[in-house]
Amino acid sequence: MRKSQSFDFREVPVTIIWAVVLLTVVGLIVLKSISQHNSGAFLHNPFFKQIIFLIPALIGAIGVLYIPRYSIHKYAYAIYALGIILVLLPFYGNPHAGTYRWLNIGFSLSIQPSEFAKVFIIISLARYLSDHNLQMKNFTSIIIPIIMVLIPTAIVMNQPDLGTAIVMLAPVLPMLYWSGARPFYLFLVLAPLLSMLTAFHNIAFTIWAFVLGLTIVIARPNRLMSIGLFFGNIFLGLFSPFLWNSLTPYQQGRIITFINPEVDPLGAAYQIIQSKTAIGSGGIFGKGWGEGTQTHLKFLPVQESDFILSVIGEELGFISVSIILILFGFLISQVVKHSFFSKDRFSSLALIGFATVLLSHVFVNTAMTVGLIPVKGLPFPFISAGGSFLIASYLMIGFILKLSVNYTE
Amino acid sequence: MLKAENIVSFRQYLVAIGITWFLIFILLARFFQIQVLGHDRYKEKANTNRIRKVTTTAPRGLILDRNGQIIVDNLPTYVLTAIPGELSEKGEKFGLISNTIGLDSLTVTKNYKKYYRGKFIPTRLAKDLTFHQISKLEENRLNLEGVYYQQVLERYFPSKVRASHILGYLKEVDKTVRQSLEKRNEYELGDMIGWNGLEKKYESYLKGKRGIYFYEVDAFGREVGHVTELQPQNPEPGQNIVTTLDIHVQKILENLMTGKRGVILVGIPKTGEILGAVSSPDYKPDLFTGLMLEQEWDRVLNHPDKPLINRFLQGLYPPGSIIKMVTAATLLKNPDFDPNMVQQCKGVYQFGDRLFGCWLDQGHGEMDLTAAMVNSCDVYFYKTIHYFDLDELSKSFKSFGFSQPTKIDISGESNGIVPTTAFMNKLHGRYGWSRGALLNICIGQGELLVTPIQVLNYINLLASRGKAPVPHFVMVDRLPENSRPKFESSDWDRLITDMRQAVADKNGTGKSAQPNISGLKVYGKTGTAENPHGENHAWFTGWCKVDDQNYSIVVLLENAGSGSAVAAPMVRKVFSQMFSQDGLAVK
Repeated sequence: MRKSQSFDFREVPVTIIWAVVLLTVVGLIVLKSISQHNSGAFLHNPFFKQIIFLIPALIGAIGVLYIPRYSIHKYAYAIYALGIILVLLPFYGNPHAGTYRWLNIGFSLSIQPSEFAKVFIIISLARYLSDHNLQMKNFTSIIIPIIMVLIPTAIVMNQPDLGTAIVMLAPVLPMLYWSGARPFYLFLVLAPLLSMLTAFHNIAFTIWAFVLGLTIVIARPNRLMSIGLFFGNIFLGLFSPFLWNSLTPYQQGRIITFINPEVDPLGAAYQIIQSKTAIGSGGIFGKGWGEGTQTHLKFLPVQESDFILSVIGEELGFISVSIILILFGFLISQVVKHSFFSKDRFSSLALIGFATVLLSHVFVNTAMTVGLIPVKGLPFPFISAGGSFLIASYLMIGFILKLSVNYTE
Repeated sequence: MLKAENIVSFRQYLVAIGITWFLIFILLARFFQIQVLGHDRYKEKANTNRIRKVTTTAPRGLILDRNGQIIVDNLPTYVLTAIPGELSEKGEKFGLISNTIGLDSLTVTKNYKKYYRGKFIPTRLAKDLTFHQISKLEENRLNLEGVYYQQVLERYFPSKVRASHILGYLKEVDKTVRQSLEKRNEYELGDMIGWNGLEKKYESYLKGKRGIYFYEVDAFGREVGHVTELQPQNPEPGQNIVTTLDIHVQKILENLMTGKRGVILVGIPKTGEILGAVSSPDYKPDLFTGLMLEQEWDRVLNHPDKPLINRFLQGLYPPGSIIKMVTAATLLKNPDFDPNMVQQCKGVYQFGDRLFGCWLDQGHGEMDLTAAMVNSCDVYFYKTIHYFDLDELSKSFKSFGFSQPTKIDISGESNGIVPTTAFMNKLHGRYGWSRGALLNICIGQGELLVTPIQVLNYINLLASRGKAPVPHFVMVDRLPENSRPKFESSDWDRLITDMRQAVADKNGTGKSAQPNISGLKVYGKTGTAENPHGENHAWFTGWCKVDDQNYSIVVLLENAGSGSAVAAPMVRKVFSQMFSQDGLAVK
């Protein structure tokens, strides 16, 4: 019997599967604790909901394994278009709590299209960057992928969903780096962002201007470009206070509270304080499963998704949190390793993209729960409750497993 | 299509792995900082987050009479509350409540707004509901989701006496009241505090100690359970206080004073105990408890006779002839004065170019000191003023406790006025008055002003030959020091026999004070005080002696006429009712 494909299930990296299984089980254990006193309807119990969503998630992941690799590559742009359409669709429906993040699909079920768009963007980016005719020495080769990412990101930002937008944006630079772009160009991409951020602080802005100038001198682009770059960035910095005013008060509030949490002790800062209190009071070994007072007395907000790590910190302690984070580091290292050893550029780029998405999820979510960055509505992969996110994460794992297997055609 | 080969360098791979573990390390370091280094701080924070302290008020001590009868008791009433977060269709529910218990629905809505403090904090809708009203609401329980009731204790007056000026009343501690308190930490908003009378004076005894218990709340402030690791403290009820009052005596006095303006005080000179005290008109003792209608309050406040004023403590009156014992005692102090020397009373006395009349226009004729006391002759005293000067007289007054608070155990006493040279100079100027002023003061008129409680102390001191303790309403171990007038024993004897004569003599002005009870002797002195408010005030002050026990009495009837005609008969009524039955009212 001749195999239609030389994909061999025995080559699938088992370590990745184990890591995902462990994380999922930890998630279920924590969700069971949260759901203890849940007397509501069956479908409102996060624990059972998660178990139910695991079924389509597993089907999706296994299904991906059966998609031929060339098909993934072939239809990459088509699913990119699909992703754009998906994130646009919620704007034609009714808003949920003032946002357009959710798409009603009937049976009182909603999906969050941005979660899936995230996956699709990586595949299309990987396809574009893996074109062997692409000259990465050209600056334009960098611009196009950035625009490809910025379109869905801008739409998601308007839903508004800042957290997902950041995660969506995250893979583009690592993928460019992976495809051999000059680090100086990547610096140029980042430069305007830093100019805007430092503009609000005189000393920071001065230091930044110095660093910018120094980098330009070392990289030695032509004279006209150097002058343009330098003054372009400085003007952007001077202009950014006006940009700030164009942000919605909701977005401004979140940034301000991050910089000075005392401004709004009962809003976003309240969440950070309660989260830190939960984590800190857990100590090394935690208060025990189901014993978290911060969790069960509902001091901890959105505990089943955004702040689930705080629940783990409170009930299971520093040891468990460390195990989870190290396990994640291990999972991502594995993906990066498979990316490095991948034979073709498309798979390698897609893998580094997925690794970045997972890592940015973990970093943004965790950093938020411990008050390192402003509150972003972003869940923790495999552990947080959330149907769309769980399915999307498992789809990513499906793609990771599929693309990790090297074969010859 | 997939021909492009992977061109990732090992360096790029190392950078990627490095960044990954660097970020993971940052997160781990932060968790270590919060969970391991900051554990103690956050643990405490988590505890205070969830634990709420709740205090319960202690039952207030009771107020008893000298025989252990309850004058002020606690009565359970009900407070109706609602938890806003559990309340839907407010309007309908408030309507139903007001219909069921017969209350204005506007009041319910107003209370709801006034007491609203949070979504899950019980908000008061109505108070002072009876058990009956609560049971009616209970029938509608299914339609009143989110509405609760609580039992609270309220002051209740089971005896027949009013004694409102003595007992005082309670006030709810609000923000302004709390600001004004010295021990404000001991009170919470909504507590009751003694605001007047004995309730105020003995607040620290009556109050008791509040109970404390801890409960666990969720982030919305909803109670979810008790905290086992913190011991609750049960409330300690306040101490009962035993008053010197006798319900029976108090009742007699209140009945006799109904419809009259004035004061009656009855006490025991030897101990300073007050058996009964009435300031009339008074008000119902429960006026300030429970629901007070606005018109009821207005009626009390705007009553022309000012029932809220405690006349025996705050009222300032010219004493008239009841202070002639002070004048007599001052005369007796002078060795040149001979009490048996006779003065002629022709009904009028000329001092300088002014004429001073005796109360008896035709005159009393020949009078010695005893006769002058018995007949209350004014001219006798006019003619003897050269035996003392103003400051000697005022010293005597002060030695009997006038012009200073008696230190009775109800606050708000007036001081009264005893004129001295300095006082008269200040009032009229150095040359604006003359020795003639003594003519008024020596018979209890002029600038002299006293409170009835000072008069009771004065008469107690006379009856006990200067040894009476300060008048008081509550049985206590230690009393403040009283004034100690010092006179020769023979002078005391003379004053006391003269007072007996003023009642026993056939011409005695106080003769109608003597009831027809064998073994009961009344001693006393009438007074008829001229005042700028119309008819004379009628005074009688004295005591009766029964089985070697003295019972002092002060009667003041405002603008009622002469002491002899009005006040003295009142004394007879009091004593005959007090001692009518075999078992004396006083034990």
